Amino acid sequence: MNNSSAMATAPSASEEASVSSAGNPMIAAQVGPVKKKRNLPGMPDPDAEVIALSPKTLLATNRFVCEICNKGFQRDQNLQLHRRGHNLPWKLRQRNGKEVKKRVYVCPEATCIHHDPSRALGDLTGIKKHFCRKHGEKKWKCERCSKKYAVISDWKAHTKTCGTREYRCDCGTLFSRRDSFITHRAFCDALAQESARSQTQTLAITNEEGTLKVQAQTTTTRTSSSSPPPPPLTPSTGVLSPVLSIHSSEMPENLIGRSQPQPGTPQLSATSTTSAAAATAGNSSDANVSSTTGVFASILGASGSAGLSRSSQSPSSFSGLLCAMGGPGRSAVEPISLSLSSSLYLSNHPSTLFPSTPQDHHPRHYSTNPQPALSATALLQKAAQIGAASSGSSFLRGLGLAMPSSSDLQDNCASPSPATAPATASASASTANWMMSHVKPENGSVAPGQLGLGLASDHAASGLTDLMMGPPTIFGGKPTTLDFLGLGMAPGAPSSDGISAYLSSMRGGGLDVAAVAATSTFGGINLGGSGWDDSSDRKPTLL
Amino acid sequence: MRESPQSSILSGALKGCLGSLDGACIEKLLLHCASALESNDVTLAQQVMWVLNNVASPVGDPNQRLTSWFLKALISRVSRVCPTPMNLNGNSSPQRRLMTVTELAGYVDLIPWHRFGFCASNSAIFKAIQGYNKVHILDLSITHCMQWPTLIDTLAKRPEGPPSVRISVPSWRPPVPPLLNVSSEEVGQRLGNFAKFKDVPFEFNVIGEQPTVPSSPCISTLECSSLQYDFLLNQVLNPSTLKLEDDEALVINCQNWLRYLPDEQNNGASQEISCRDIFLNRIKDLNPCIITVVDEDSELDVSNLTSRITTCFNYLWIPFDALETFLSKDNSQRIEYEADIGHKIENIIAFEGTQRIERLESGTKFSQRMRNNGFFSVPFCEETISEVKFLLDEHASGWGMKKEDDMLVLTWKGHNSVYATAWVPCGFDD
Repeated sequence: MNNSSAMATAPSASEEASVSSAGNPMIAAQVGPVKKKRNLPGMPDPDAEVIALSPKTLLATNRFVCEICNKGFQRDQNLQLHRRGHNLPWKLRQRNGKEVKKRVYVCPEATCIHHDPSRALGDLTGIKKHFCRKHGEKKWKCERCSKKYAVISDWKAHTKTCGTREYRCDCGTLFSRRDSFITHRAFCDALAQESARSQTQTLAITNEEGTLKVQAQTTTTRTSSSSPPPPPLTPSTGVLSPVLSIHSSEMPENLIGRSQPQPGTPQLSATSTTSAAAATAGNSSDANVSSTTGVFASILGASGSAGLSRSSQSPSSFSGLLCAMGGPGRSAVEPISLSLSSSLYLSNHPSTLFPSTPQDHHPRHYSTNPQPALSATALLQKAAQIGAASSGSSFLRGLGLAMPSSSDLQDNCASPSPATAPATASASASTANWMMSHVKPENGSVAPGQLGLGLASDHAASGLTDLMMGPPTIFGGKPTTLDFLGLGMAPGAPSSDGISAYLSSMRGGGLDVAAVAATSTFGGINLGGSGWDDSSDRKPTLL
Repeated sequence: MRESPQSSILSGALKGCLGSLDGACIEKLLLHCASALESNDVTLAQQVMWVLNNVASPVGDPNQRLTSWFLKALISRVSRVCPTPMNLNGNSSPQRRLMTVTELAGYVDLIPWHRFGFCASNSAIFKAIQGYNKVHILDLSITHCMQWPTLIDTLAKRPEGPPSVRISVPSWRPPVPPLLNVSSEEVGQRLGNFAKFKDVPFEFNVIGEQPTVPSSPCISTLECSSLQYDFLLNQVLNPSTLKLEDDEALVINCQNWLRYLPDEQNNGASQEISCRDIFLNRIKDLNPCIITVVDEDSELDVSNLTSRITTCFNYLWIPFDALETFLSKDNSQRIEYEADIGHKIENIIAFEGTQRIERLESGTKFSQRMRNNGFFSVPFCEETISEVKFLLDEHASGWGMKKEDDMLVLTWKGHNSVYATAWVPCGFDD
């Protein structure tokens, strides 16, 4: 069977074809629905040597080691080149002994389809990439769209293209996806206003392609597409000529082709800047689009704002041209996008260029508020004491929880969340004890990661807020003790009253439950977030 | 000694949770709460709720956030069971947030939850109306025409020129989020502006008179839902109110809609056929050239509370998880989106009978229903599939898609979330 490049199967239908680093066009991606029985390109060469590498070896970057000096290389060719430098006698220059046997590699992941030798991959780089992509941790994240990649070259390839296509609405909002742009545009106030204006402001959009080329040399306008080069406008000029304002909107779909950056190519024109300025000005008040467009319209003047002419060309040719002529340098883009992005950051629009808000990259921490749960902590400790002492702790004892001694409070697990105030750690520890003591946590202390009961309180007092008192405010408002029967327990109620009322109510079996704990958070809630194709995916099993 | 069996149940639940209070654990707790409620064991219920409350947090991680909405729904349910002086006056819908149209446009694009259905349906519609010069779309959806700009845009670029497009929407829609701060007429007007801008002849109609719902509290919810149901059947699915024309391609678009139709046996009807089936038959009678149906793929129309809770929890973690991927914990859009899901959770868990309007059935079951009612499924073509794939590529990497028979299903991390289907009546006269 022919076994060279045609041999091996692709990682899976969902993977892109990976190109071997040695330059052989590698495996064609498996096409078609899985259920179609497709002829695998023959059994791997029966003489091929099946290599099973451990994950560690696979992920090791320097697999090829010089036997003379033990220097490691990522690629075989590099190793060979290096070996030549050792001035080996001719015989030893060749690879040791037998000619290289055809090697195929299996995936070390037992559940993987490529673990089977009959599905082995023929290229080492391929199996490495497959393993990383499929079973590895996705360490590389695109900043724009938060797509994650395990293989750095995939990530690089993606970031090159991500966000290079942008669409701008006349109201100033930027979109990276066309359908979001279209939908927004249809309902945007900017369009409503423009439609009120006549469509007599048709601009001669002649051969767009021709004029565009002309413009590449003569004009600084990047987004414009009509024939006469617009007069350069400084941003300070508040008034746009109708021509210019139309430019910004009449280009097909307002496509801003942010293609490959090239330094030294035309800068962004005043058009964009002015629009950006307008947008910024508009957005400075609030994120409300209508007010933005109102400002925008007024800036442009009565006649100005984009009497929209028909977009007659498909955007693809336009963007293709833009790509051909090269987009502005990325560094050149930055100043503009800064002014744009300021408006973007002001608006809360999700589909803007930089979807992640500045807060997005906060370390993942549980809701915390520096304000200590004074009464909650006191309540807990009080409960601990009361519980040990009185029979009123029927609820807690009923749960099978033994009351911890005060010594236990200190040396239990600390909260894993660094943001949790130390003062609450002991409270959390005690809560941890309460919850788990009956299952003998003394088999070793509960690892912080597992049961990090960070008693992160964002409110002054108890967590069971006024549950019956107005659902809309439950989780946003101030918590008070749950008070089914109107015992009138205020947030700041003395702890002893709270706990004893609570306990007596439990005894009475009535409906009132006085909460004693602040909202606490449990660590270790596992969503399998590290890699969504992990086997430890968060799919809860039924009872 | 009433307390020991309950406490042992609870400690049993907690026992299994040692180590990490993860989704499985929370689910168990929810189940315990549900069974406690079903057996009217309020004490145990509140014990579990106390524990749940310690887990819940509206700004925590997805499990915590989801739990907080579930807890709220459970409490809402309890308050109906055991009214107290502190109880609300029975008014089940607090003020809901109203969005502007542009906010809604952003909302439907936050995650591909809706856009997936739009894309698949629009693509199927585009194909089905090839050769027609007039199109009439009856839009039954809860997203206020957000679907149509992209279709209008595509139609505008048709090589043979765009058809004239007429969109009709009913004057009543289920009282669920997302809610707009403007009328349907205003939405239609904006759409019209857009169509004009694209040079697509366009007309927009709001069908039927608002079903008059008297504000008197005496009217039962049963009567209320009957009114709406009658309205839909008699005023909306009515050839004369729709002003159907022979040379028009009639498209019926049901997006997150059919689940609001009651599935019980029609009151007093002798046939063993439910309201939902009658509705579908009425649709068939209109002889549409294509019917696109998109809905959420989960089986939630069961009378058993416990299984509803489980299913709901195991399904709605999907949007919560997806939002977590790229929005911060205190992002207001995320919180609002989750609140709307919370509204759904509350209806599913806290209400019974006719008040429980969310009666979702799974895609598979629904497909079977369609076949039983005399519809053929229309498979999605390769072009559609690649369009959808392209759409999903532009979103976070957990979103995927698969085909189940002729259904297209949006998946998140491999789990079914939304299904899209297309149908024609058997014996459709072209």
